[in-house]
Amino acid sequence: MGRAKIKRGSTNVDMTAMCDVAFLLLSFFILTTKFKPAEAVSVITPSSVSNKHAEQKDAFTVSIDKEGRVFIDMTDEMKGDVIDRISVDRSLNLSAEDKNLFKKSIFVGSPLNQLSSFIRLSPEELKKVKLTGVPADSSNNELQSWINAAVNIYSGRTINFYIKGDNNAKYTAFKNVIDAFKKNDIYKYKLITSPEGVPAGSELEKVNNETILNGK
Amino acid sequence: MAEMEVKSGGGHKKGPGVKKGKKLSTRVDLTPMCDLGFLLITFFIFTTTMSQPTAMNLMMPKDTDKPDETNKVKESGALTIMLGKGNVVYYYFGLDPTKMQTTGYKDVRKIILEKKKNTPADDFFVTIKPDKDATYKNAVDMLDEMSINDVHRYAMIDPTKDEYTLITMTEQAGGVH
Repeated sequence: MGRAKIKRGSTNVDMTAMCDVAFLLLSFFILTTKFKPAEAVSVITPSSVSNKHAEQKDAFTVSIDKEGRVFIDMTDEMKGDVIDRISVDRSLNLSAEDKNLFKKSIFVGSPLNQLSSFIRLSPEELKKVKLTGVPADSSNNELQSWINAAVNIYSGRTINFYIKGDNNAKYTAFKNVIDAFKKNDIYKYKLITSPEGVPAGSELEKVNNETILNGK
Repeated sequence: MAEMEVKSGGGHKKGPGVKKGKKLSTRVDLTPMCDLGFLLITFFIFTTTMSQPTAMNLMMPKDTDKPDETNKVKESGALTIMLGKGNVVYYYFGLDPTKMQTTGYKDVRKIILEKKKNTPADDFFVTIKPDKDATYKNAVDMLDEMSINDVHRYAMIDPTKDEYTLITMTEQAGGVH
């Protein structure tokens, strides 16, 4: 009987194309990933149901760590302008080198009179040294001067003020920061939080669902 | 592609004495490389955290001494929540702090919702008063609770001296450290 001979096809699949895709994706992911910027101090933020993203543009962040110390972080562009202003306001006599170093420093974490030694600390030293933070209590409110300098230099431009507090920071520390803002006539700021789901069945969920249904 | 084209039998002819070199296949099996590629992708995807922080808007009122600029709170619609030491919440309805009751962060939602249901929307007003021993998390949690329960009228201020004394007394009686 003449049986038709089935031609056996090769089971080898050319993997080249698939491999190309895999590495293309890999390089895409690696290149688009941004590294987390170095943290001033370890701050574990509380969570909230808010889903608005924190904008990075013109950001002025005040961090409060768990011991209640206050640190200031600004965008690099802002740093340069603010240090010029505050050295005039407080007659600090900072040299051009100091100002340059300040621009490169990650955050502000010392009183103004120790600023020139603070900006000379290397990242390794920063971890070892016990930082004092920016004084923000009523007796010597330097935080207020920093905010004032930022507001004056960027008058007419909106600065995004953020407060980033640690879970265990005392409310009094937070209140000091708010008061410093208040003295500069700033009443609108944002609290940085980590995202959290909206509890099921809550009022907010109903409101959210309605807005989705109405297609807003 | 992985296989390179090897031209067979070029222009010139080989002499009779020249041995024909055995042609090796240039095809490389790319399966392991492909596996590795995807493994790395999965690794990167899983280790990358979407660490985009969110921000919560907070607006504080301006301090004012003029009585006409202040908000009037109706007694029937007022709910005062005080945040004390050790994640304890104290609350009272109306304007009499001595009627203070104690609760926790988990149960406070029920209280807010119940009060909200029983009062006209225009009268309902929540006052949040974190005391010295409350943490930042407590304050944020309570503000968050306001947005969860869709409360639009609330304020955050310091407790009065009387309220603070009351909290301290309750804390001592309850043995909260």
